[in-house]
Amino acid sequence: MLTDIFSPLRASWEALQERLFFLPPFPDQLDSLALFSLLLVVGLLVGEWLRAHFGWPKVIGYVLAGTLFGPSLLGWISIEALAQARPIADAALGLLMLEIGRRLDLRWLLHNRDLLRGTLGDVSLSFLAIFLFAYLVVGLTPAWAAAAAAVTMASAPAVVLLTVEEARAQGLVTERIILHTALGSAAAFIVFAVVLGVVHAQHSDDWLNALVHPLWVCLGALLLAWLAARLALLVGALLPKRSLAQVFILVASALLAVGVARMLAVPVFLTLFLMGAMLAFRDEQRTLSYTTLPDGHWLLAIILFVVVGASLPWQDFTWLNGVQAIGLLLVRALAKVTALAWVGGSLPLAKRLMVGIGIQPLSATAVFMAYELAGLYPEIGRSALALPLLAAAIMDIVGPALCRYALIQSGETVEDGDRAKGGIA
Amino acid sequence: MNNQLAHFKQSAPLTLGVELELQLVSPRDFDLTRGATDLLGSIDYDGRFGEIKLEITESMIEVSTLPRATADGIAADLDGLRQTLLTECARNNIVVCGGGTHPFHSWPERRICPGERFDELYSRYGYLAKQFTVFGQHIHVGCTSADEAIWLTQALAPYMPIFIALSASSPFVDGVDSFFQSARLNAVSAFPLSGQCPELRDWAQFIEHFSFLQACGIVHGIKDLYWDIRPKPEFGTVEIRVCDTPLTIERATALAALAQSLAHYLLRTRPALATALYLHVARYNKFQACRYGFAAQLSDPLLQRQVPLQEVAQELFAVLAEDAEVLGCSRWIELLKESLVAKSTDAGWLKERQVLHQNLNDVVREAGMRFSSLTGMNLKGSP
Repeated sequence: MLTDIFSPLRASWEALQERLFFLPPFPDQLDSLALFSLLLVVGLLVGEWLRAHFGWPKVIGYVLAGTLFGPSLLGWISIEALAQARPIADAALGLLMLEIGRRLDLRWLLHNRDLLRGTLGDVSLSFLAIFLFAYLVVGLTPAWAAAAAAVTMASAPAVVLLTVEEARAQGLVTERIILHTALGSAAAFIVFAVVLGVVHAQHSDDWLNALVHPLWVCLGALLLAWLAARLALLVGALLPKRSLAQVFILVASALLAVGVARMLAVPVFLTLFLMGAMLAFRDEQRTLSYTTLPDGHWLLAIILFVVVGASLPWQDFTWLNGVQAIGLLLVRALAKVTALAWVGGSLPLAKRLMVGIGIQPLSATAVFMAYELAGLYPEIGRSALALPLLAAAIMDIVGPALCRYALIQSGETVEDGDRAKGGIA
Repeated sequence: MNNQLAHFKQSAPLTLGVELELQLVSPRDFDLTRGATDLLGSIDYDGRFGEIKLEITESMIEVSTLPRATADGIAADLDGLRQTLLTECARNNIVVCGGGTHPFHSWPERRICPGERFDELYSRYGYLAKQFTVFGQHIHVGCTSADEAIWLTQALAPYMPIFIALSASSPFVDGVDSFFQSARLNAVSAFPLSGQCPELRDWAQFIEHFSFLQACGIVHGIKDLYWDIRPKPEFGTVEIRVCDTPLTIERATALAALAQSLAHYLLRTRPALATALYLHVARYNKFQACRYGFAAQLSDPLLQRQVPLQEVAQELFAVLAEDAEVLGCSRWIELLKESLVAKSTDAGWLKERQVLHQNLNDVVREAGMRFSSLTGMNLKGSP
């Protein structure tokens, strides 16, 4: 479509080139910076418009912008442009995964066993319900049903963090949503590594890959995470706590980990999550504990969700797999809400239900995990993982709204409380 | 006339009660967090040590002891309340700590607690209500009659700077050193009905004064009077409200013991009051104590000269020795005396930790550890 629009321009340009020798060849590809800025503007405009007119979380707008301009619909963001923007999306996802890893507070579980029971219930029920649905109802093979479950069992850390931040939510429900999201992600990554081996075992006679690939992913991510966390802590210790220089060190170490993970084909989301977790556990002197991500991470997050929106396979949508994706989301939702309402403990039932609703999002991590798996055996994987990808596509739009709803219903956002009560009599 | 004032509940003489407003902070960065309402809703507690209540914002929680005859009784209640709160807060990943201000929280982030009274305060005072996320200790001393309460309210007034200096624990505000020992009282001063009780003859005149304020539309209830000391008819007490919440319950108990001993001394000796004169210097003396703590210079309206607060406090401790002995609280008074001699205050301790760590997050982390641990009987400020 864009080629049609630009063909007269190209012709004129090439005609001019014959006389103006300094002109470069007609640019076939958008410069990365220009692409970055266009994605940013498009995402920002749609996000802000939806926020202002309907009060929707901005994340929904970014995803919709990507979907609208992506290959599935208008095609203005080409597949090549998506590949070009992928490093930025990886960096954004990496930083958000780093943050959710830093929020993984296992000490809290020691003080509150109800949370541990709730998380175990959520993880096991979600995996089981999705696996059985994909295997028995949709008819996927056990390996791909397990892959679908691994991809969709956890909440979406990036969406949850951004929604919480946007709503300026704080409180017991918010903290539980973040904790269960972090723990669920950790469990999903473990299952993901196992599933990698299972998929290899099913589709290849070579057992070496089935054994070594999961180890490569897990040990590679662990090693990279450890090295990046050590580096951040070592350099960070030389600088004043909470200083801007420390922020730069944290971001630089994270980007280094992202880059090396990409070079070695180790999942970025897993590496950065582990790096965050190590920073949370190994920082005895609290060198970087108080150092927060700069507000600029929102810029990267916009690109991430525009890219995620553009990557969603709406072109594969059929009524049948649409219904199947909704079915998957329903059993997943039921599993999560039941687990937390049943064994979530220590909060009143209504609040536990809100925690269950707050952890419904499914987004970037699932999409990237699905593409990692699908990339192993593209001829099978893409169709086998259409189900979780479509589920993620739907939840990319519904998930942030559900999370925001839970935060508001819990009464933990600042703005809603103030609007109702504020003013000077 | 307001129903609260119709009847002054008689108390056993010199019984004590203590309220502490405490900070709820996040263990992640030690900034204030929100969650008081849910925290309170999840506490399984039978009230054996007193009450645990909401305060104006979700980042605060208030504990109040039962009425006790002795400071030891107060110490036991405060310890029970502390343990209850610590257990429940640990289950909810919240750290509790003392201190008159949170050193670096951002007041616009505060959220008003649900409740008619809190809504009404927010509606009336606007942003001041959120800035009122400061943490004080209130000490109640039981009175046998309403007239005694009015007399004691005025008799105790000149000693308030000493309470301020001994309890000061709020040197940091908005992430900076305020150069005050107690910056908390500046937040209280913004309220139109803060300040001192006027000169009053007896309870009848207090009712008359209150009715006047009511007729002018200034007050609705006794809670609207944010005086440094005020009578509390429903409890049958006088309430000292100038203290910052100390970093430890030991200091909070010692301050209660001081209030009890002082009230005992005043009621025993019944000195002639010079309330009108003291009212002239009250605001100045309060400022001095807030700003300089033990180094304050107080204005003496009778002698018409300045006297060092430390000297006045030392003399007071000497005078109160006999009364403390009678009340069985000498060891608590001794702790305050030691802290006065060593010039060690909670404000000083907080400043020391800031110099050591060069960041306020770690200062609050240590303040939380200090509140939760049994620091024994040492108020000199060692961690």
